[in-house]
Amino acid sequence: MSDNKTQTQPIPGLPHVKSPGAPQVKTRILNAESVAEIQKKMARYPVRKSAVLPALTVAYRQVGYLNDEIYAELAAITEIPKLQLAEAATFYTMFPKKPRGKHLIMVCDNISCALCGADNLLRYLEQKLEIKVGETTKDNLFTLQIAECLAGCSAAPMMQVNHEYHENLTREKVDALIDGWRKEG
Amino acid sequence: MSDTATKDQKTTPAVEMVSLTIDGRPISVKKGATVLDACRQENIPVPTFCWHPKLRSVGACRMCYVEIEKFPKLMVSCATEAMNDMVVLTDSEKCREGRKAIIEFILLDHPLDCPTCDKGGECDLQDNAFEYGLSDDTRFAFRKARKIRDKNSTFDDLQIGPEMVRNQNRCILCYKCVRANEEAFGEYDIGAYQRGHNTEIDAAPGGQVASLYSGNLVEICPVGALTSSDWRYKIRVWNTQTVPSIDPYHADGANLTLWKDATKVHRATSRMNDDTDDGWISDIARYGYQIATSERRIKAPLVNKNGAMVEVSWEEALGVISRRFKEVKESQGAPCLAGVVSPNLDLKTLHAFNKLFRGALGSNNVDYRSDYSNLPTDADSTYGFMASRSFSIDAVASSDVIFVVGSNLIREHPNVHLKTRRAIFEKLSWLYTANPIVTKSADCSTDEMIYNLGTDEVFLNGVTLSLIQQGLADKEVDTGKIETLLIPNTLEKCAETCGVSVERINECAKRLANSKSPTLIAGELVSNSIARENIAKSFYNVALLLGIVQGKRGQAAVLAKAANSKGAEALGLFPEISATQTATLKNQFQSFPELAGANWDAMLSGAQGEDIKAMLIFGANPVQTGADYNHIKKSLESLDFLVVADLKETPTTALADVVLPLSSFAEYDGSFTNLEGRTQDFCAGMKRIGASLPGYEALNRIAQSLGFSLYADLSSLQDEVSELLDSYNAPERKHFLMESHFQAPPAPQENSLPLFAGDALHHFGHWTEMCHSLLEFNPEAALEISADLASRLDIQTGDSVRVLCDRGDKGNKGEKLILKALVSDILEGDTLLASHNFAAKPVNCFTSRDSRVSYVRIEKIEKQ
Amino acid sequence: MAEHKLLLAHTDDPQHKTVAGYVANGGYRAWRKVLTSMTRDEVITEVKASGLRGRGGAGFPTGLKWSFVPKDSPKPRYLVCNADESEPGTCKDRVLLECDPQAVIEGMAIAAFSIGSHLAFNYIRGEFDYPIEVFEKAVEDAYDNGHLGKNIYGTGYDLDVVTHTGGGAYICGEETALLQSLAGHRGMSQMKPPFPAVEGLYGCPTVVNNVETLAVVPHLINNGGEWYKTFGTEKSAGTKLFSLTGHINSPGNYELEMGTSLRYLIEEMGGGIPEGRKIKAIIPGGASCPFMTADQIDTPLDYEAIADAGSMLGSGACIILDERTDIVWATYKLIKFFKHESCGKCTPCREGTKWLTQLVERILNGEGEESDIDKIDNICHNILGRTICPLGDAAAMPVISVIQRFRQDFVDRIKAKDVLPMEQFSFN
Ligand SMILES: Cc1cc2nc3c(=O)[nH]c(=O)nc-3n(C[C@H](O)[C@H](O)[C@H](O)COP(=O)(O)O)c2cc1C
Ligand code: SF4
Ligand code: FES
Repeated sequence: MSDNKTQTQPIPGLPHVKSPGAPQVKTRILNAESVAEIQKKMARYPVRKSAVLPALTVAYRQVGYLNDEIYAELAAITEIPKLQLAEAATFYTMFPKKPRGKHLIMVCDNISCALCGADNLLRYLEQKLEIKVGETTKDNLFTLQIAECLAGCSAAPMMQVNHEYHENLTREKVDALIDGWRKEG
Repeated sequence: MSDTATKDQKTTPAVEMVSLTIDGRPISVKKGATVLDACRQENIPVPTFCWHPKLRSVGACRMCYVEIEKFPKLMVSCATEAMNDMVVLTDSEKCREGRKAIIEFILLDHPLDCPTCDKGGECDLQDNAFEYGLSDDTRFAFRKARKIRDKNSTFDDLQIGPEMVRNQNRCILCYKCVRANEEAFGEYDIGAYQRGHNTEIDAAPGGQVASLYSGNLVEICPVGALTSSDWRYKIRVWNTQTVPSIDPYHADGANLTLWKDATKVHRATSRMNDDTDDGWISDIARYGYQIATSERRIKAPLVNKNGAMVEVSWEEALGVISRRFKEVKESQGAPCLAGVVSPNLDLKTLHAFNKLFRGALGSNNVDYRSDYSNLPTDADSTYGFMASRSFSIDAVASSDVIFVVGSNLIREHPNVHLKTRRAIFEKLSWLYTANPIVTKSADCSTDEMIYNLGTDEVFLNGVTLSLIQQGLADKEVDTGKIETLLIPNTLEKCAETCGVSVERINECAKRLANSKSPTLIAGELVSNSIARENIAKSFYNVALLLGIVQGKRGQAAVLAKAANSKGAEALGLFPEISATQTATLKNQFQSFPELAGANWDAMLSGAQGEDIKAMLIFGANPVQTGADYNHIKKSLESLDFLVVADLKETPTTALADVVLPLSSFAEYDGSFTNLEGRTQDFCAGMKRIGASLPGYEALNRIAQSLGFSLYADLSSLQDEVSELLDSYNAPERKHFLMESHFQAPPAPQENSLPLFAGDALHHFGHWTEMCHSLLEFNPEAALEISADLASRLDIQTGDSVRVLCDRGDKGNKGEKLILKALVSDILEGDTLLASHNFAAKPVNCFTSRDSRVSYVRIEKIEKQ
Repeated sequence: MAEHKLLLAHTDDPQHKTVAGYVANGGYRAWRKVLTSMTRDEVITEVKASGLRGRGGAGFPTGLKWSFVPKDSPKPRYLVCNADESEPGTCKDRVLLECDPQAVIEGMAIAAFSIGSHLAFNYIRGEFDYPIEVFEKAVEDAYDNGHLGKNIYGTGYDLDVVTHTGGGAYICGEETALLQSLAGHRGMSQMKPPFPAVEGLYGCPTVVNNVETLAVVPHLINNGGEWYKTFGTEKSAGTKLFSLTGHINSPGNYELEMGTSLRYLIEEMGGGIPEGRKIKAIIPGGASCPFMTADQIDTPLDYEAIADAGSMLGSGACIILDERTDIVWATYKLIKFFKHESCGKCTPCREGTKWLTQLVERILNGEGEESDIDKIDNICHNILGRTICPLGDAAAMPVISVIQRFRQDFVDRIKAKDVLPMEQFSFN
């Protein structure tokens, strides 16, 4: 992707931003690829603060969750106040704030999916994994959660596991998926 | 580019008006005003929660509904622009019903804990619920509690800042605190987390709400969600009365309200004045009233009897003073008497002080600048000229280009700092900061230029040369001989010496030259420098080339520091006063000394020699806050007789033969002249502590004991003050470029680090050490250090660090102190800041009266 | 009127995602035509002539929106494609992003040109991993083939497209909240005015358009606005994607001419209701639209007719509830979504959605009282029209319609005093 012209124009409500540069930061949690990716993404915006979501996304993809220490590292990389990173991170639901199982199972239980049995799917998963919604299995393999509509409505019921959609779910499909992941360990 | 955008805003012609009808009344308001503004202008009550006059409307709470003809929905008046021919109803059935629904929604989750809530009696929710709320049955059936992230901290009060307690259950999510913090203060220490119904307000992760403006957040909270630990449960608000007051520390002159009962003052809040403060006050101004009620106050005069300070009556103390002053005057002559007064005292006191010395004792040795060294001795100094330029704080907010040089603005002028931010956020103005250290303003500067230590004038000369080279200088100024005036005399050499690139200097110069209403500010780093005069000349040159000194546009000044510095200047409390001032004073005082006076520098050397024998120090504490601890201490020790008046015991009172107790600003009526020259009155909020007296009264009693009277009644004293202020004219001079030669300061030794001594973020001068709330923010003298340096030396906040003076063969070599490290998130590089606000740690032992930069070495003290 | 595939014509062709495949199918002709032979005004005129209305939900005329961008503003302008699709029942934009990303890019480019923007963002909801991947690849491909970047087609016009991904918040589909989110703030709605077209992203003029709206644009340029008008009805021109979900034999995304009847969508395209059951209710435009009843099945699917039937076409997400569905339960499913997604800025929405959820939940638990029904209705009216953004309305409208049209269901449920299980429908 080509670079955008950096904007030299003041933006109302935002401080005049100096060119972001690439501050040399030492990070303990985030690895070099993540840092580089954040810096690359940051350069695409005329205003540095726009990088809040991309930065959070990159960090959570690497670590699996976000916490204060990660906000602090992101703040050092992006020069966006730690406060604003934390404020944004807690506003959006996609970023877990605590460590969770290897497979994060998000089941949509909104109207279209519910009409097609999403609640029963949830109960079925609860039984199968022997946990309640919001919990993580003892072996740390699975965390089960409810999601709001994921735009998979025409293939309901559906769930998102880590970054993948699984649609038109049936008992057999769920069994096959879970058993497969269990085997993988 | 946006220059045009800014220009457009500036050239709006005469104010356009809009006419509308509200509740049947025809009303005319400025175009752009909201319907709410129109209602307020006409005193039509409209309830609000989330609206604040100095913040952008967000229309969040929906309490301010009005009905507007032709609009099918209820409209939020705070965010609806008034338009011609609108017909507005503010009290219709529909409005009332809408507001009632909002109150119902808010109360849905609001604990009804008014009896135990500290906001009771001044709570917007109480008031609005009473006026607009439910009439009869409640329709709630659910538990009144918000769900909060951290279950353990939920329903109880949580301390989220040194002086701030949060109760999330009471929060109505108007977001005023978060908005003010970001929009008005540019601070990022309080935020909203989670979303929707679970939203909660909290400090930054792992941090505290501890900015200089934190108290304002409590003040604007419409409910009891944010309360101040200082005021909580001290007194119910309906048992208090208020009196107007003024920030007694900073020269900004922020307006305060003191809340008192029969015995004492319980808190200070803002009293909105758009000219000075926009209703925001610094925590120092807010909690500074605590000097009145501090345990550390001296309550009676003290006299040194055989090495011990003994409490005595005023009569006895005055007896000693008059006897010794007379002795000195008779044996050595009046010029052996000297007086130093603090610019934080009121106008009447300052004038009485002048009158005592010049009129009664016959000595011209008076000064108020004991924090500085190497003072100008010439009545026509360029520094004096630039320091007395007229300046408007409010004009900063509408300046299109602001240029700050040599000032840690937030610490020196908390309100000017906020006005610069307003200019940037509202007017998209450009801010250029030039300093040897990084300051808070850097985060909103267009360019933050860090010049090399001790090269202030070189940087300014660079700007001068750039203006000339780019052909941007005022055409009427003769720039012909510029090469002979400046050293270094080329832009390139200046850039190289000061370490700021030619391009950046050019850019800044260009922006300044294209500006319509520039504001140029120089601050304490200039005033405090021993090269003050040289820097002032360079500063003058820039202002001249921009046409500012000639009055063509904008404003430029070296800003006064203390609450009444400007007053002291206008009243003539220094030796080199102008002829007009002398004439007025001669007229007022029965007699006037002929011999020229000694300024503060001369007093000190005079004391070490034979010239000065007795001294009266009033409210000042030079041993702690002046440059070079040892020099000042030695000088004062050499005196035959020293009288010190203060609120508390200080390193200066420790050297005194007699100590007099002064009353604080909260105990008498008086006035301060702020940095703009605006004189504002403050009122007594409580009885005087112990036997303390306001300065003017103490001075009159000294005078009386010597057989004089300074005033028959206070109004005559006040009249003299007014006459002096009215007749005061800032110096004028011909307009031509000044000479400014730079001499490079000697190179530091290896491993030495530069150190600045000054105010901590939450302190000002030597009195705020008495304020327990401010000690919560900054409890002790700290050594502020950049994160980078800290990590190189493996130092963390809270570590003890040994600081050693490193000044070659001279003076204080070998001085050392142990200070607590404070890793700053603002500072960069190797420069250290040490706070001079604590008597226990006289960090001025590291500063010098004859070098531009002080150097120290530091060592981390390993914990045992 | 019936099915007509304009946008979905090439969904089966995997090559269509690439620039090569897309160009082979006639792609990028419009962009080239715009850059080489049209002025900004001509583009806007063409779009206005087509009668295209925004497909994001509000149905605002697209050409008109573009023309609101001030011509003389010295500020930069931005185009933002709204791919935050999160309205329950809606899954049409995802198909376009996955199967026809080049058309979205071409549409974005043309729209950007028409407002004089050199930087366009596509705000895609963060959960869309696969669509994001496809779209980013497509952008890369378009750059490589000179359809984006500097000096496009040698005309001197520069355009960058940046993919911005969300973090999981329905409210970020609302345009002001979206722009806040894009600027790095919490995605909270803002008061209008100022409208984004005047003061949007970073305070600069900004146009926000739905994915589908933008994907239509190249067709308008290629064939002319008048041609587009030949589809659909007088006021609702063209074709539209409908996501058919819920109790239906063949759920999916279908492209119909506007004005086609609901019955056609349900019976012809969707193959009717499983096991021949009866319809109880239809939500015609996504979770925020009022319920329609079975007898309204012959309503034409266009903005006006659906509005006349007391509902909204919204994003065209048609959710079918069959006779087995408990309406109280369905109401709960809707309202808890809005409670979860309220941004929390304005009082009525933040507190109202919570209160409604509590009340409906209470009824579900068999603890409701008959007075609750009017209370719910009254609370909805205290939210409706009283909030900053339409999310409040979106929460209130379906509930109001349910109480109006299915009041008896509530009464029965309350009288029965038994607990309604969440698991009403099982999956296979
Ligand atoms: C709560 C709420 C959610 C919305 N979500 C979306 C969305 O997911 N996608 C979308 O395109 N428009 C959404 N909209 C509509 C947008 O605000 C906006 O009207 C639309 O993007 C404009 O594009 P259009 O003119 O092409 O329809 C939403 C509106 C509201 C009030
Ligand atoms: S209606 Fe809801 S989502 Fe919209 S601004 Fe208000 S609280 Fe936020
Ligand atoms: S004061 Fe107008 S909405 Fe809050």
